[in-house]
Amino acid sequence: MKEAIKESVGIWQHGIAKNITFIVTKDCQLACKYCYLVGKNTKERMPWEVAKQAIDYILDQEDEFREESVVWDFIGGEPFLEIDLIDKICDYLKTEMFRRNHHWFNAYRFSFSTNGINYHTEKVQNFIKKNKSHLSIGITIDGTQRKHDLNRIWKTKDGFSPKPEEEKGSYEDVVKNIPLWLEQFPNSGTKVTISSTDISYVKESVLHLYSLGIHEVNINVVFENVWQDGNDKEFEDQLMQLADIIIDEGYYKDYVCSFFNESIGKPMDRVLDNQNWCGAGRMLAVDAAGNFYPCTRFAAYSLRDKKPIIIGNVHDGIDKNKLRPFLMLDRTTQSPQECIDCEVASGCAWCQGENYDAAETNTIFQRSTAICKMHKARVRANNYYWNKLFRKLELEGEREEYEKNKREVKPEIC
Amino acid sequence: MLQYLIILLDDTSTSFCHYENTKTERRLIPIETLKQGIRFGMMENLMIQFVYPDYELPTEYAEVIESIDHSKIKPMATDADVLVLNEWAIPTDAVDIPIVLRTSKKELFARYRELEEVLKKCQRLNVVITDVETFTEEDFNTYKDVLTDLAETLKTLYVGGKTPQLNLLTDRMMLKEMNNCGAGDTTITLAPNGKFYVCPAFYYEDEADSIGDLEHGLYIKNKQLYKLEYAPICRKCDAYQCKRCVWLNRKTTLEVNTPGHEQCVVAHLERNVSRELMNDIRKHGTFLLENEEIKEIDYLDPFDKKE
Repeated sequence: MKEAIKESVGIWQHGIAKNITFIVTKDCQLACKYCYLVGKNTKERMPWEVAKQAIDYILDQEDEFREESVVWDFIGGEPFLEIDLIDKICDYLKTEMFRRNHHWFNAYRFSFSTNGINYHTEKVQNFIKKNKSHLSIGITIDGTQRKHDLNRIWKTKDGFSPKPEEEKGSYEDVVKNIPLWLEQFPNSGTKVTISSTDISYVKESVLHLYSLGIHEVNINVVFENVWQDGNDKEFEDQLMQLADIIIDEGYYKDYVCSFFNESIGKPMDRVLDNQNWCGAGRMLAVDAAGNFYPCTRFAAYSLRDKKPIIIGNVHDGIDKNKLRPFLMLDRTTQSPQECIDCEVASGCAWCQGENYDAAETNTIFQRSTAICKMHKARVRANNYYWNKLFRKLELEGEREEYEKNKREVKPEIC
Repeated sequence: MLQYLIILLDDTSTSFCHYENTKTERRLIPIETLKQGIRFGMMENLMIQFVYPDYELPTEYAEVIESIDHSKIKPMATDADVLVLNEWAIPTDAVDIPIVLRTSKKELFARYRELEEVLKKCQRLNVVITDVETFTEEDFNTYKDVLTDLAETLKTLYVGGKTPQLNLLTDRMMLKEMNNCGAGDTTITLAPNGKFYVCPAFYYEDEADSIGDLEHGLYIKNKQLYKLEYAPICRKCDAYQCKRCVWLNRKTTLEVNTPGHEQCVVAHLERNVSRELMNDIRKHGTFLLENEEIKEIDYLDPFDKKE
């Protein structure tokens, strides 16, 4: 029975599985220009004692964590820099969930989002072999070399962002591991981030990732207020060109690009479509100091202008009062009127941490609208995509077949 | 809509609510600031409430204060419109002005029987529990018993023809909609430094946390969050008498629009005993006919019944 639960796809979806994140290190080999982690450093590595205390606390509170399953998420910085610690944590988790006969035993997954640089190393590979049936690993590769290397650059030996003339991209160090990754996790998707400077590479990057054998490309524009005048038009043009190629060359049959989604760009009902977008508060994150957060985005190293929101620690547990605002958040309470009245509102995402960081006061109830124009550009291209695709399918008598076999696009939840 | 302006006449002005004023050094509001504050209140059509310290103000202040219709909130009885008691020094004579009694839960639980005499002599008693956020499950049980005893006293008085008001129990019977503190929405505070604050507690906690000043006017960021309709837990709640203290909200949940568990449960214990009191009084005759019966509910924290 439990095996069946573990294999069920739906159970890992948002809201059914508890997502618990260990911020195992705030260090990373890279200094990506769009990275929201403003406080990365080499010092804050999670001690084993803290990880153990966090696990003991969480498993002790079984009645408080009633979700059917759990995703134990490991994040950094770059999580695989701490593979020894992670291996120890995962061994302890498995042992403890079994020993306690915890309802998460065999209903768990270990999840990683990695820059891919250390993927091939012996330690990481041994870890993968040991835990393969319970693993999901995403490698971030941003597209073509010029797109990837524009932002995803090595940091200096001293740990700083390099001078422009000394920048060294990480594409070659990542792409060499893609075949091994796809061999081990054939259905994996990658996550691509778009910022203001690299919009012109969107089309070529998606197609490049397809050519590497990655069938699912999940993309989002950064939530931060970085967008310049004209970016929306440039973005729209890129997506229109991408739409033409995906449809004309038949990629839509076997490949997915999350930019094109039938459900986006519709008005939203104030009452029926009032749920929060983000899962902050339903997730739990713990850092090297043993502090708990509603999501990693509320830890100090993620915040530019605001104090961290700490909801407890491994010694005292979780202060439920601090979680109440997160669990009561809905769309309309935090949205400005222009978003509530927006005729293309559906699919317009937000990050609760960025909302908090950008808000005028210390609140999570003020939605940032920095991506408004980019979302609208996406909606226009998306409408074009579906109109063109459906017309083609109808003319070719393949619409029914397509609907039957189409690959589901996962919701874009951070 | 803004309706009230609270003016703190001194840094040592009495607290009349949940917060503690720990300032001991006097800083009287400059007379010019006071005049400008009154002028602001007149221009914005606000009802002004002056909060006094425990010493006599210079005579020129009295003249300025009397230049406008107002209420005086004072820690001493002389010419107050609202008398604040920071200790259990209960007046023995009849009092015809509202009394605010600030008390810890411990003292309330130990001495609440003394309130039965007060209720016989006053028109209105506001009990403010200053450590609501520390209530435990045991405290909730004790508080329910205290309220039940006080309700019995009130029932006897009401049936006997006296109708004193005790905020904890009679407000809910008389209200038809939420009637909360209103800080940041209907009420703002002017401090002795000439700056505006959401309420006195925000001033005493952090002087830098102002929402404008007399020179530049009001600037309340995220103003909507002080309104009931932007409070997801409260907007569907019917504990109409709840203080819904935005300062306490921020202290416990970090958000001004979200109350902590303790504030919600305390308010619902009051609501539920008010319901029983109302039903009991109605057994003896018609009472508040225009008000609907308070419904029976199966929760004490509306957060637990979120959809």
